[in-house]
Amino acid sequence: MSSSAGNEILKVISTRFGEFDVNASSVITIPSGLIGFPGFSQFIILEYNQPFSWLHSLERSDLAFVVVNAAEFGDGYIFDLPLGDSDTDLREEDDVAVINLVSVRPAPQETTVNLKAPVVVNLRNMRGRQVVLDDHRFSMRFSLWAANEPQGEAKIAEPEKK
Amino acid sequence: MLILTRKPGESVYIGDDIKVTLMEIKGNQVRVGVDAPSSVRIYREEIYLQILEENKSAALLSQDTKDLGEIATTWKKQKPTTLGKLKSDKGNTEKE
Repeated sequence: MSSSAGNEILKVISTRFGEFDVNASSVITIPSGLIGFPGFSQFIILEYNQPFSWLHSLERSDLAFVVVNAAEFGDGYIFDLPLGDSDTDLREEDDVAVINLVSVRPAPQETTVNLKAPVVVNLRNMRGRQVVLDDHRFSMRFSLWAANEPQGEAKIAEPEKK
Repeated sequence: MLILTRKPGESVYIGDDIKVTLMEIKGNQVRVGVDAPSSVRIYREEIYLQILEENKSAALLSQDTKDLGEIATTWKKQKPTTLGKLKSDKGNTEKE
C-alpha cells in the first residue's frame, strides 16, 4: 500500500452519534484499557463543547466518557508522568495530553472530575494509559463547582504564603 | 490462595520478573516492596476498586448525558476558581 496508516479512514459506529468516519491518525490506543473496561483499547476524542469532549470507544458503540482537558486545571494539577511506561513508551521529551473523566450528574452543579486517575496520552505515538496518582490531594470526585459555594469555601486551606 | 511465611527481608517471586519483598513489620502494618516490569499495574486494592467503580459510574452517567452543552455553559458562567489552588488544597480528600 502506498498510503500510510495515518491516512486511513475508519468507520465508527456509535449509539450516540450514529455512524461516522475518523482519520486513523487521531485514534488513541490505550493498551490496558480503562480500569474496569479491559479489552477496549481504541478510542477517539470527539470535540463537542469546550473544554469538555467525549472519549469514545471504537470497539463498543455505547462506550463513551465525558472528559475534560486537564490543562484547564492550571498549575495546581501537577504530577510525575509515567516515564518509561511500556503502554505509552513515554519519554522525557514527549508531548502529552492529559484528560480526566467527568461524571455528569443530573444537576450540572454536581458534576465531578476524577483527578486521581487521569488518562495520559503520548502525542508522539497516540498511546495512552489511565494512571493512578498516589497523591491524597487529587480526589476521585473533585467537585467542579461546589467549591464556589460558601460552605465549600470554608473547607479549603489557605494557599501557602510565598 | 497460596500462603507463604516470610521474614522481613525475604521475598517471593511471582513468575520470572515479579518480586515481592516483605520489607518491614511495624505494629499492625506490613511494608511490602514490589519489583515488577512497568507493564504490570500495581494498585492498593481499595484505590483500584474505587477507580473501577468511578469509571463504571462515569460510563453509565455518560449514557444519560444528552450533550455537553449544559456543563459547558455552566463552566463558562462559573469557571472553577479553586483548581489553581489544588496544590495547597490539603482539605480536598476523597469523599469515599
